[in-house]
Amino acid sequence: MPEEKDMSGKSNVGESVDAGEENVTSSDSAVAVQVPSLSYESPFTVVDALPPGYSKRPAGEPERNVISFTIDGADVRAPEGIMLVDAAKYGGVEIPVFCYEPKLGAPVGACRMCLVEIEGIPKLQTACSTPVRDGMAVSTRSPRVIEAQNSVVEFILANHPLDCPVCDKGGECPLQDISYGWGRGKSRFAEPKRHFEKPVALSPSIAIDRERCILCYRCVRFSQEVSEDYQLVLLDRGADSHVGTFDGNEYVAPFSGNIIDLCPVGALTSRAYRFRARPWDIEQGGSVCSMCPGQCNVDYTVRDDKVMRVQARENAAVDDGWLCDRGRFAYQAWESDARITQPMIRQGEKLMPARWDHALEVAAAALKKSGPRTAALAGGGTTNEEGWLLRRLMLEALGSPHFDSRRGGKLDADVARTLTEPAVTLSVPDVEWADAIVVIGSELVDEMPILDLRVRKAVNRNGAALAVATARPSSLDDKASVTARMAPGRDDAFIQALLAALAGNDVGDLASRAGADAENISQIAGLLKNAKRPAVLWGERMLYASTGTASAKAICNLVAMLGLAATDGAGHLQIPVQANGRGLREVGVLPNLGPALSDSATQGMSSDEIADALGDELSAILLLGTDPILDSPDGARWDAALRAAPNVIAFSSWLDPATERHATVVFPAEVGPEKEGTLTHPDGRIQRLRQTVDHAGEVNSGWWVLDQLAARIGVDFGVKVVHQVTAQIAEGVSIYAGISSNEIGGTGVRWQERTAASNLPAPARSTFDLEIPPAAPQAAPGSSSLRFGTFRSLWSGADVENAATLAPLVTASRLELSPADGQRLGVATGDSVTLTNAAEGKTTAVVALRDAVPTGSAFLLDSQDDGLRRIAAGRPELVEVTP
Amino acid sequence: MSEHQEAMRFEDAIPQLADVDVPAELKDWIEQRMAMYPDRKSAIIPCLMAAQKLHGWLSPEAVDQVAAVMRLTPARLVSVATFYDMFELEPSGRRTIYMCTNISCMLRGADAVMQELERAVGVTNGGVSDDGIFLRSFECLGACDIAPMASVDGQFVGPLTVDDAKQLVADIRAGGEVLPAKQLSKRPVAVTLWEGGGKVGAYDVSDSASGAA
Amino acid sequence: MDDLLFHNIDEPGLATIDTYEARGGYSELRRVLSDLTPDEVLTELQASAIRGRGGAGFPMGTKASFLPKGDMDKYLCCNADESEPGTFKDRELMQKNPHQLIEGMIISCFAAGINKAFIYIRGEYEQQADILDAAVNEAYIKGYLGENILGSGVNVSLVVHRGAGAYICGEETALLDSLEGKRGNPRLKPPFPANAGLFQGPTLINNVETLSNVSHIMRMGGAKYADLGTEKSTGTKLVSVSGCVQKPGNYEIELGVPSREIIYGLAGGPPAGRQIKAWFPGGSSAPVLTADELDLPYDFDSMAGAGSMLGSGAIIVIDDSISIVDVALRTAKFYKHESCGKCTPCREGTSWTVKMLQRVEDGLATPMDLDIIESVCDQIMGNCLCVLGDAMAMPVSSMVKKFRPEFEAHIESARAARMPLDEATLTDELDLKEMAAH
Ligand SMILES: Cc1cc2nc3c(=O)[nH]c(=O)nc-3n(C[C@H](O)[C@H](O)[C@H](O)COP(=O)(O)O)c2cc1C
Ligand code: SF4
Ligand code: FES
Repeated sequence: MPEEKDMSGKSNVGESVDAGEENVTSSDSAVAVQVPSLSYESPFTVVDALPPGYSKRPAGEPERNVISFTIDGADVRAPEGIMLVDAAKYGGVEIPVFCYEPKLGAPVGACRMCLVEIEGIPKLQTACSTPVRDGMAVSTRSPRVIEAQNSVVEFILANHPLDCPVCDKGGECPLQDISYGWGRGKSRFAEPKRHFEKPVALSPSIAIDRERCILCYRCVRFSQEVSEDYQLVLLDRGADSHVGTFDGNEYVAPFSGNIIDLCPVGALTSRAYRFRARPWDIEQGGSVCSMCPGQCNVDYTVRDDKVMRVQARENAAVDDGWLCDRGRFAYQAWESDARITQPMIRQGEKLMPARWDHALEVAAAALKKSGPRTAALAGGGTTNEEGWLLRRLMLEALGSPHFDSRRGGKLDADVARTLTEPAVTLSVPDVEWADAIVVIGSELVDEMPILDLRVRKAVNRNGAALAVATARPSSLDDKASVTARMAPGRDDAFIQALLAALAGNDVGDLASRAGADAENISQIAGLLKNAKRPAVLWGERMLYASTGTASAKAICNLVAMLGLAATDGAGHLQIPVQANGRGLREVGVLPNLGPALSDSATQGMSSDEIADALGDELSAILLLGTDPILDSPDGARWDAALRAAPNVIAFSSWLDPATERHATVVFPAEVGPEKEGTLTHPDGRIQRLRQTVDHAGEVNSGWWVLDQLAARIGVDFGVKVVHQVTAQIAEGVSIYAGISSNEIGGTGVRWQERTAASNLPAPARSTFDLEIPPAAPQAAPGSSSLRFGTFRSLWSGADVENAATLAPLVTASRLELSPADGQRLGVATGDSVTLTNAAEGKTTAVVALRDAVPTGSAFLLDSQDDGLRRIAAGRPELVEVTP
Repeated sequence: MSEHQEAMRFEDAIPQLADVDVPAELKDWIEQRMAMYPDRKSAIIPCLMAAQKLHGWLSPEAVDQVAAVMRLTPARLVSVATFYDMFELEPSGRRTIYMCTNISCMLRGADAVMQELERAVGVTNGGVSDDGIFLRSFECLGACDIAPMASVDGQFVGPLTVDDAKQLVADIRAGGEVLPAKQLSKRPVAVTLWEGGGKVGAYDVSDSASGAA
Repeated sequence: MDDLLFHNIDEPGLATIDTYEARGGYSELRRVLSDLTPDEVLTELQASAIRGRGGAGFPMGTKASFLPKGDMDKYLCCNADESEPGTFKDRELMQKNPHQLIEGMIISCFAAGINKAFIYIRGEYEQQADILDAAVNEAYIKGYLGENILGSGVNVSLVVHRGAGAYICGEETALLDSLEGKRGNPRLKPPFPANAGLFQGPTLINNVETLSNVSHIMRMGGAKYADLGTEKSTGTKLVSVSGCVQKPGNYEIELGVPSREIIYGLAGGPPAGRQIKAWFPGGSSAPVLTADELDLPYDFDSMAGAGSMLGSGAIIVIDDSISIVDVALRTAKFYKHESCGKCTPCREGTSWTVKMLQRVEDGLATPMDLDIIESVCDQIMGNCLCVLGDAMAMPVSSMVKKFRPEFEAHIESARAARMPLDEATLTDELDLKEMAAH
């Protein structure tokens, strides 16, 4: 092996070769092979070869040996079997590629840019699709290879318009770089070029310029093989091939924006970003998206202190380098007029702008007066730091234990601890390598979109078996080997039936209580029993149903029965309703549990109880980035509760119903890129938000406002910068002990993988006695009653509604019915129907008939509409649907 | 953005059977065909062809019908359809003439025959006449033994003279059989090929053989 | 030599199972199923040394032996796409003697442990596909197909699958994609179909003619079959002769006969008073040979030795009344039209070549363009994902090389015919053409 290492990776190859040749002539060949300076020891160890964000190889992923091969004469060590293109990087050699993008799956070998010569193989080979093997001798700069590279560039540019000066990709364009680096510099193509209509809208968000397209198929492969929406396709054949959709439809899909990042030329550009900036006048700032629990890592493109664009920042342990369209395009809302950027105080009916001092005074006075009769709710985007200070404000300054980050009732301590055990918690990469995945009670694409892609990857690339158990048909059904339907809200009965099936007991009665098919449940049990590394993904939403406590206990029993603790790589993952639901729980924003789920000296009210007590036992409420009218399943009840509360202090970016109707003081809240602090991913990864733009208008940091309020009430938190709050968390939350921003770094760290994880209090028990669940609701035969469920949409929320390119995707009203029920009721897609519940709630909704909806059930889209909220009030099990 | 799309969620990318009126015979046929393969998607090409035969061309409506029954996006289907020469994504005729203009037919006078067909049908290559005859030049149809030849609704006829071209179109318009004497399928045995005979250019085509050495 | 494949090919009713059985059809299948093991059948196929008749000429028995053992689903795809210009032998085989093919397929399935078979037939062969459908149906009724064939415990299903018009689907991996309901794009190899083919299962792909030979090989014995033809090109071959000959048609020959005998002896040679200028020995993707090369034995190795190939066994004859420029342009246009578009050199190179040849044809070129054409063809060859690009580059560059004076003369005369045209009008003309194309 080499005696001299060049750790810089920038050895002057030319010089080395000369030295090598001298050596060859002056010594025996056996010695000559060991030319020291020719050899290149990769600066990476094989562990370093793990993708960004990985701290270790997932249990299911096979390990690779290290082999050595030569590239352009240099000895290189690399993991066996990786593609030559990647192996070359271990030797500091870059092989140009267009179509190769490992994130898209198996290589396609289409562009031919990566041709190399391999000793012993007569034809040139594509380095993107040739796995490296021990002893291979590869050349990337031989005359034949150079000729081929020049030719491919010439072919690719033959029909390219070369309109770089007016192209948005200019300056960050792989085609420019490769033409310069590997092209001949001139073309012999003297013919007319292919013409297409210049940039046309592919969707509200994306423009397509087909003349610039070099047909690398990255975008269509993404649509077909990664997100599998299969809406973006190649049309026609040969030289006429072009990217398009059916009948000129717009490309509307949850992840469509990724094709902009993928396109190696200026063919696909962001309509919102077009001509807003050039690569040389922007800065990129890395942070984390806090719009959903997925917490994808992002890069904000900033110009003149404004976010101009959001791009995926690859963290293989979180997002795999993908981003959903909400995360990508909702930034447009941050600049919209609808945003609140100054404090406001209610005067009479109206909210009037106020000075900060004044607003703080008014709020502090109200809180002080309310004291222990104050409640607080934290919303999903709340950072751990804000949560921590909120907790301190409530306990230390106001003496009130009535704060919650969840909706619904209290979380049982043993249940919470059982489900938080590191040994049973899946990491995201574990999901990718699980051999059986069961999704229960969650529509991932709407609730944690990025995980939907990971599940597809597990199925498509690693052959995982998938089972989907939901009330409403899921977009993952097509990937599943078993799909089971249940009555809406009957997750507890369903899980109990699954437990019975796993135990070999009779499933029939429980299955019928779940409104599910016993056979399907047995199949899922079979799938789990055969699995070496089962993964259970379940939606926290089920805990907010009336049977939520029972469901949580049933999940604990499932975890125990499957022995998830015993197997590396097996486990469960809770899909929280709130983006930082896990972090807020763990820093102690719970009425009944302290930091790190410790026993709490005080017992406060849960959000459900708060709603009942407001205006009565409770006289003020702090709403930290949440509108419970919209965020809870029981919005109408909250509307009434907030009306009854004398003081409502809202931290908000938008005039949502709670703020607009009920807030007495409004503090303008930060949006993503303005925030600094930490979040905890559903798999326990603590991640860091970094401020990349200044606050808009008069906005101030949430943690600062909390500190100011406490100070005015007479408590000094002792924090001047947010990192001091992080330090307090590192001290006060035992399972996060010693954590620092530095340690969290750019890709985060899972607390379960740190020694402090052992500080988690052990549950007194981790299995529970379960009661026989109630029977599934039954409609009277022939009546117009249907089982009633709700679902949420990725395209909802103020950020979506106020982003120009996303707003058109918001669906105001949608009631999904089975075709049979549609026929029975005499309604078709697009018709309006009236919904009534037992509590006399009444509203109208627009019907969408869906073939896969089980007969007897109706699903209503959660929406901003008051009427729809009223119908859901009290969580009815049946609704009347009439034309 | 159209009204329709505004109310669409991405799940709606696959048309729902509840919303699409699919002719019963097409639906049955597609379902049977899907059952013939380990993976239903294998049936895409045959099913699109069935829909094209039914509708005359692959109208968006026809594609939606196949998509709804096969539970696939219409985009996937048109991506496949536009790859293959025999799918018509534009309104097409009731009767189809594929005139081979590939090399073996070209060598025996296909271009002149094609010109005559254009004249007789009254359209240029790729056009549809008012009375629904669709004419297009085609690549080698695998019948160079009867070059120059054409396929009329799948019926191979040849060797064609310029006069045959006129007759061919006249036969179509008359609604009867097209050049019965020159139909490949009507030739019982190879040695009596082309009984009708005729001359194309320099060739006496009456005694060409196909068969034993 | 007796005909094998074409034996009494025009016997009335041969396409029906009764007639086929009456002349001994399916008796080999019966014998194989009752007396032989799959390995014994494989051994015979290997002994016959029969090379694939679809174009690549790979030994069939060897390919069948590559399929892994085991009881996963395995597939046989009969390649009946027959789209190489000048080729029409499979059409006649399927139309006139479909059971010969079906019997060969079932025996092959038995040999390689295959349980699911498909015939991928080009969509334009509607009548042939109808005949096959009927024949397959008959075979099912007689118990030659389906579950537990003739009580042997062997299961084979067979589906006739129609394409829809795409030459590239004859390329074996494009065929697989097409049969999976996709665009017919070739796949990267490896993995090879024998390991991961149709639906990612082990797959054997053979041409109609190859498979039609199987029952004859079993009847004669592999060694006896190998006595036919030459040492490296065994057996008989169907040759489709077309173009400038008196008697175009399919002829069954023993491999290794002089090419002249086929073209002149069987097909009657060019029309009276004409001379052969060039000929494609194996479909239009084979580099052209000249009249000087007519005495070459017609077999795989001799054609390869002459810098061309036997390909699908389709001889297209070009006589001296034909302009080689027309032939080159027509050939290039075909492959450009059929390029799937997946890989860069083929997609861009074929369309560039057509544009240049069109200028040559139209008198808008200079001899330097001929150099560029050759260079572009060179850049295509060997650099593509599959060999469709080569299929254009090889014949076109062979024509430019072998007939360069004729190309130059054409450029000169066509240019002269356009005179007087200055550069400006030339550019206008280009623009007009371009506009017309859109
Ligand atoms: C562009 C292209 C087109 C082809 N077309 C056909 C065809 O139409 N029929 C055929 O049998 N083989 C065709 N082949 C060859 C097949 O790829 C494959 O080699 C053959 O079907 C194998 O069968 P065999 O071994 O029996 O010849 C083609 C190959 C290429 C590259
Ligand atoms: S649009 Fe871009 S990503 Fe899509 S095929 Fe063309 S070059 Fe590739
Ligand atoms: S990068 Fe290898 S062929 Fe495109």
